[in-house]
Amino acid sequence: MTLKEFKLPDVGEGLTEAEIVGWRVKPGDTVRVNDIVVEIETAKSLVELPCPYAGTVADLLVAEGETVLVGTPIIAVAPEGADVPSPQPAAEAGADVPSPQPAAEAGVDEAAAALAAQPSAPDDVAGDGVVEAGLIGGAAPGGRTSVLVGYGPRTTEAKRRPRKGAAAPDGGPLTPSPEGPAGRVLAKPPVRKLAKDLGVDLLAVTPSGLGGVITRSDVEALAGAPSPRAGTPPGTSAAPVRPGGETRIPVKGVRKMTAEAMVRSAFTAPHVTEWLTLDVTRMVELVERLKADREFADVRVSPLLVVAKAVCLAVRRTPELNATWDESAQEIVVKHGVNLGIAAATPRGLVVPNIVGADAMGLHDLAAALGELVGIARDGRTQPAQMAGGTFTITNVGVFGVDAGTPILNPGETGILALGSVSRRPWVVDGPDGEQVVPRWVTTLALSFDHRVVDGAQGSRFLADVGRLLSDPATAMLY
Amino acid sequence: MSTITLAKALNDGLRASMEGDAKVVVMGEDVGKLGGVFRVTDGLQKDFGEDRVIDTPLSESGIIGTAVGLAMRGYRPVCEIQFDGFVYPAYDQIVSQVAKLHFRSGGRLPMPIVIRIPFGGGIGAVEHHSESPEAQFAHTAGLKVVACSNAADAYWMIQQAIACDDPVVFLEPKRRYWEKANLDREAAPAPLLSSKVVRDGTDVTVLAYGPMVKTCLESAIAAAEGGTSIEVIDLRTLSPLDLEPVYASVRRTGRVVVVHEAVVNLGIGAEVAARITEQCFYALEAPVLRVGGFDTPYPPSRIEEEYLPDLDRVLDAVDRSLAY
Repeated sequence: MTLKEFKLPDVGEGLTEAEIVGWRVKPGDTVRVNDIVVEIETAKSLVELPCPYAGTVADLLVAEGETVLVGTPIIAVAPEGADVPSPQPAAEAGADVPSPQPAAEAGVDEAAAALAAQPSAPDDVAGDGVVEAGLIGGAAPGGRTSVLVGYGPRTTEAKRRPRKGAAAPDGGPLTPSPEGPAGRVLAKPPVRKLAKDLGVDLLAVTPSGLGGVITRSDVEALAGAPSPRAGTPPGTSAAPVRPGGETRIPVKGVRKMTAEAMVRSAFTAPHVTEWLTLDVTRMVELVERLKADREFADVRVSPLLVVAKAVCLAVRRTPELNATWDESAQEIVVKHGVNLGIAAATPRGLVVPNIVGADAMGLHDLAAALGELVGIARDGRTQPAQMAGGTFTITNVGVFGVDAGTPILNPGETGILALGSVSRRPWVVDGPDGEQVVPRWVTTLALSFDHRVVDGAQGSRFLADVGRLLSDPATAMLY
Repeated sequence: MSTITLAKALNDGLRASMEGDAKVVVMGEDVGKLGGVFRVTDGLQKDFGEDRVIDTPLSESGIIGTAVGLAMRGYRPVCEIQFDGFVYPAYDQIVSQVAKLHFRSGGRLPMPIVIRIPFGGGIGAVEHHSESPEAQFAHTAGLKVVACSNAADAYWMIQQAIACDDPVVFLEPKRRYWEKANLDREAAPAPLLSSKVVRDGTDVTVLAYGPMVKTCLESAIAAAEGGTSIEVIDLRTLSPLDLEPVYASVRRTGRVVVVHEAVVNLGIGAEVAARITEQCFYALEAPVLRVGGFDTPYPPSRIEEEYLPDLDRVLDAVDRSLAY
């Protein structure tokens, strides 16, 4: 018999390893070409792999949870027509099936065993209801009880059949399907309750459970200290909490990818961060006006959308911010189109998918693209290709209620803009009666750029341009 | 205190009710001279006479229709439907008359009728003799539906059902008729319409009634050897359901499996699952799982052991629940 082995392929540019998250088949299953056989988690994404062979699954070569290198054989398939060794010895399966009509000797043994195990077995009927053997309620062959109609009930034992492997019994799922409704996260009701009580946004939690399910400890980890809960339901996986203890979380998947990218970027590109705090009341008014506009009824309009548009416009005046540093060629490569990356906190961690050709889009198309990108990211369905080729990134840290930060560049890019929270703050304005302090919508922008590619002059001009577009969107007419 | 079979306990309970109330009459096919095919009415005709223990013609519709008339005149008929699958000719009388007359008459005509039905499979019988029609009656407003699981409960529940002024469909687990239990005739019984924790546990709550209670208790014993602690609750009353003890248990364990012989589809387990989800949502560590018969007519007896939920099917569900 020739088994065909399916080797772990590279599913996205140059990935070297992946974790086997879950098998969809088991030995003995019949598979056709392109049937989904396994789900893997690469550094960038969850990916379902189709099988390139048709036949019968002979063996799963890698256990769930293991991380293996690209090229490692992960599943063996016996082509159609070939003999496949049964995954279970045949004798085991047959041994415990009760024969419908046991031989006389076996029947006696069975009845004796039942008597020994069951003090109240019907065979010893006596006392109040004295019945003789052979009469209704008396003993019948095969450990049964005599009845007027039928063979009579059989004695049972508190003994379980031997288990066959760890497959889900009754065909039921051992783990829930990772496909939740759009924009939803997967968590059991008690975990949702815990998150609500602790004030944790489940969308911000990185799930560690099988199939992307958020566990109790995931929520507690994000909430800071695990809350000592009186009466934790038994059977739950919450680790015992000791003062001074620690939780060790394996670095893999998106976390590992993010860590490597950030180290590479922070220690390769000399970062400069500039700040700008400004009155964005007119931008907020524009957002409100667009929200009420029927043409924008089918898309989500947010300050992020206006910032995205402003970045695309500002790049026209300072294209150096939309460039990359080519170390080997010793060249600065200025890109002609903007692939606008949006940093998104997802249940699986930080991902930065990008909108290809964002600068060529009208505001409505940009809003639609933005909505789709965020939706896919929150579902954890962002594919590696959607994260490749970005030229500039926006990170909207304002949604977490902070003023701004010093963002680290997405590796290979020259600029990244952080958008702080948009909030009511006192602001000095010129009124008819001279200067006065009034409440206005104010935000803070933080731009980090690669000082190898651009200098403070270009960075400052770019940031000022974005700022002007936000404080007075009408200046977009000038571009 | 005595040890007694479930069938004999019912016989004793019927006798006690007949002795206590001259209006109690027993009627059904072969209940008199033969004493019932399961001997539940054995000896009653000899002691109470042919007027109070009546052998009826083979007409279930006639048995229940006659009982309706008797009830209107102040009697308390106890009707035996010989086997579960024979109840359907009487279905119209039960649903259209027994269940509705008290309501229809503005409360003037109570229907204190008990309809005893030996139900469920596992005795290797032919077609029509192994069915579990409880959901069809529990779905009918105006009927109470109860199921006993052991001799002690049977003794008290049959008397309480007869004393009840509302019509009661009284389900008897026919394959457990010969199971014995201790009966304390002096003890105060639990109310008829109440569920009962029959085995304490901490990991998974398993709900059952009638014949499946013993199956679940055996499952709990087997599971305990594997380190899993199962709490078993005997629902006892299916309409109305008494789920407060169930909610209390689920709030502790977070996991529930409902077991019945009846098909899973639209069975009692479905209603129980819905109510638990409403009342204990934030306590549920796993969805409420159901174990029951397959969605087919009851199979020929040679393969009924493949059809009936057994210890392994129950424990498989327990494993699935724990895997969440």
